[in-house]
Amino acid sequence: MKVDLLQTVESGGCSAKIPPKQLEELLKQLPLPADPNILVDIDTHDDAGVYRVNDDLALVFTTDFFPPVCSDPYEFGQIAAANSVSDIYAMGGTPVIALNIMMFPASRLPAEAYRDILLGGADIAAKAGLRIIGGHSIDDFPPKYGLAVVGYVHPKKIITNAGARAGDVLILTKPIGTGVILAGQRLGMASDNDVAEAKDLMKTLNDSGASVMKKHMIKGATDITGFGLAGHTLKMAKASSVKITLNMSRVPLIGKTYSLADQGCIPGAAFRNLDFADNDTVCDEGLDYNLKMTAFDAQTSGGLLISVPEKKEKEVLEDLRRTGMQSSVVIGTVSEFDGKHLCLSQ
Amino acid sequence: MRTVDTRGLQCPAPIIATKKALNESEKGETFQVITDSKVTLGNLSRFLHDNKNEFSVSESQGVWTFTITKNTVDPINQKAEEYCNNEVPHFSRGNFVVAFSSDKMGTGDDKLGSLLMENFVKAIKDMDHLPAKIVFYNKGVFLGRDDSPVSGHLKEIEQMGVSLCFCATCVNYYSLAEEIHIGILSNMYEIARIMASASNIIKP
Repeated sequence: MKVDLLQTVESGGCSAKIPPKQLEELLKQLPLPADPNILVDIDTHDDAGVYRVNDDLALVFTTDFFPPVCSDPYEFGQIAAANSVSDIYAMGGTPVIALNIMMFPASRLPAEAYRDILLGGADIAAKAGLRIIGGHSIDDFPPKYGLAVVGYVHPKKIITNAGARAGDVLILTKPIGTGVILAGQRLGMASDNDVAEAKDLMKTLNDSGASVMKKHMIKGATDITGFGLAGHTLKMAKASSVKITLNMSRVPLIGKTYSLADQGCIPGAAFRNLDFADNDTVCDEGLDYNLKMTAFDAQTSGGLLISVPEKKEKEVLEDLRRTGMQSSVVIGTVSEFDGKHLCLSQ
Repeated sequence: MRTVDTRGLQCPAPIIATKKALNESEKGETFQVITDSKVTLGNLSRFLHDNKNEFSVSESQGVWTFTITKNTVDPINQKAEEYCNNEVPHFSRGNFVVAFSSDKMGTGDDKLGSLLMENFVKAIKDMDHLPAKIVFYNKGVFLGRDDSPVSGHLKEIEQMGVSLCFCATCVNYYSLAEEIHIGILSNMYEIARIMASASNIIKP
């Protein structure tokens, strides 16, 4: 019997996040542990926490899990795992060990689906050189899966979202539109080709992007996930105390993302993300509405957004394209903060 | 008055239904959208506001009714470049599009191809009607470079009110972003739409 995981959910992947505005307010109420060895914590809304072990070693620690984004359990496992590891890569780390996190309705879905999700996760972990050494499952509906991952990084070579500098250019390594395409799929509006393209992109590890960043000693980067391209860019601009301008017509889109958005296929998560970013964002008057909303589309396992000193732009782009991230392009620029952190231009 | 009932539908289905109704309505026409979702209430309000449609909402027992009037100003006409077009009415524009896929005209000797292309671009200016739009893709984007022999002519054509649309993927691929200072960057959807809506496409 073939299992269709999409039958179990209304919103999948990183669309299933708590509204960012609400989350920010809640997190403010939590005490932050004080320890000089904590090098990165949630204070700057970064992708993962970093803890210094000694002068040569720090641990990058992150977790991410979500409900199904596709019908096939094996593919869902692959996508969820690639998404979980991404935070390690975004910080310039090397993934080392991980734990499975699984919520699965044992009485409602066959055990094969449970196994296949974990096999998909194991496949991606092997590609990432990551050892899954345990995990935890509870009975829950709908299913959710992801990893908690530990990576290594040199304490002086951490890449953070606070590392963007005025004069840098921003390179995005994957096209965007997974939220729009997946919503379109649920409504029978997206083509099989577009869904296949989105799934391939979501399964693609950001490992080569991390290697290129390390080679060129990049300081600032983040990965694009649930808060959308604009949301994560804004977090980066805030953490770096700069202004970032995104040229939306330069941003590569998956398949017919634009046409779907133009038909009104704009997932609810995009509105939540827009709501969060509103006060810090200025949109140019000529900005196309569909491109604007695509900027806020929640991405699952999106690409890296890398802040690159202008003089390194060509080399970094060449290296990214040579190592498999062919869609890598410059999509924006970093400038001094002038009252707004994010500018969306056509 | 037309009514679109989206009760029981999850986002984005109500937005899609509203957009469809907007597309099918005449400017100034009024219709209603009904929803029982608070999420849709927020998202649809934002959608209508950002697209400059007039609307009001009334609530009764957990059901919201939007009364929407399709905007009377076409948002496309609000773009600055369109206003600029209106300021130069003495250049008549045709409904054809010129597509440059190479910086040479025809196949054969490259030197000859470049020379022909230069003459062709020059000739565009003198035609009875200017093109509606000009698109550049693949090697064609090289024509827009500052040191290209035709960049001066293209600039003049742009000043005459013709938009020059450069394929952003191509400009980035050839790393020409810093060398092109005319036209606008377009995505492939835009370029496909321009070509699909043209009565004729001229490909030198």
